[in-house]
Amino acid sequence: MELLWVSLPLLGRGTLVTLMLASASVILATAIGVAGALIQLFAPAVLRWLIELYLYLVRGVPLLVLLFAMYYALPYAGIMVEPEVGGIVVIGAYFGAFMTEVFRAAVLAIPTSQWEAGRVIGLGTTRIMLDIIAPQALRIAGPPFINTCIMVVKGTSLVAIIGLADITYVGRQIVERTLAPFIIFGAVAFVYFVICYLLSRIGRRLEERLDHAQ
Amino acid sequence: MNFDFSLFLRSIPVLAEGLQTTVALALPALILSALWAVPVVMGLLSPARPLVLLTRTYVEIVRNTPVLVQMFFLFFGSGMLGFPISGFMAGLIALVLQNGAYVAEIYRGGIRGVPQRQTEAGLALGLAPRAVFRIVVLPQALRKVIPPLSNQGVLIIKDTSLVAAIAVAEMTLQARMLADRTAAVFEIFLALALMYVALTAVFSGVMRLLERRLRIA
Repeated sequence: MELLWVSLPLLGRGTLVTLMLASASVILATAIGVAGALIQLFAPAVLRWLIELYLYLVRGVPLLVLLFAMYYALPYAGIMVEPEVGGIVVIGAYFGAFMTEVFRAAVLAIPTSQWEAGRVIGLGTTRIMLDIIAPQALRIAGPPFINTCIMVVKGTSLVAIIGLADITYVGRQIVERTLAPFIIFGAVAFVYFVICYLLSRIGRRLEERLDHAQ
Repeated sequence: MNFDFSLFLRSIPVLAEGLQTTVALALPALILSALWAVPVVMGLLSPARPLVLLTRTYVEIVRNTPVLVQMFFLFFGSGMLGFPISGFMAGLIALVLQNGAYVAEIYRGGIRGVPQRQTEAGLALGLAPRAVFRIVVLPQALRKVIPPLSNQGVLIIKDTSLVAAIAVAEMTLQARMLADRTAAVFEIFLALALMYVALTAVFSGVMRLLERRLRIA
């Protein structure tokens, strides 16, 4: 128990790094997701194919491989970035593909009659999208969006393998020195659990509201 | 950066050695997750409240913690307890524990997705509740779960790469060691990424065939 007490400051710092990585990655992934979904729905074919290729690659390649590729390849390509920034870009781009699917599915879930109704009262595509489709689609996107956020939080743990000092990395360092895996990894798991469980509660609340609305 | 195509080709046989371990881990992980999810979904749908609570707790714990932390917990923890398991086993157990919970939710969704009136119709025909489940509900639910199972399976295959962190020489670790030795990073990681794309494409293809076989007319 005393070990846990002594480790708290380190674990706390790791938790902050995890939270920072996760929130920055979620923001980036959401931006990519919205852009990707809009391109897939409205853009000319060439752009759509590009997004399609990006989705296909991300679906087939593990996040860890992308992180390793970034970690090894950037220095060779002569690009110097902070490892944290590199991690955020890779995690954001990886989960951006999941977010693209989330937002695209939400827009496609809105009945075409809504589009037709908008046309009939003389609105253009942008106005229909902003005033009619987006408010409904965002509500539908809520629960899967939260699920993807949980995947992002858990996904940030992989940066420990490339040496970023997130909570998983800190936990492993402490375990290698103290040989107390249960208490330390238990504490690490608990931190993730609290973050993800809170998120999943929000997701469930959104889902219930959606059920009521329908 | 310059790309040496011959190095790209030469890295493939080395990665293929790792591919054997990747497949040797992915196959049991896929099968055991699908099997382990059966008792889990039975627990989730059970009429006994304590059993539901117990299963829910398990599902919430594994779904809300990273599989990498679970692997570390099992790998380092088992050594501490005096019966060390290999990194391979720790990875396999963590993958099955985590994905069994996800697959159980997929099964639950499939069973819930069969309309209630199908069950009522079966009961009205005089079938016993068990027979209704086996003859009426299950075959319809099975067809519905194949696409989400295929997605989850792809995630399982990709997550096998994480055992590289506990010293299992699967494909990703082979690539990393090769990159450390040769510095041909672009060639090696491109080859590695393409091998994962090929592996997951083969898996999704098989699942699509299965879906087509199970479809009615």
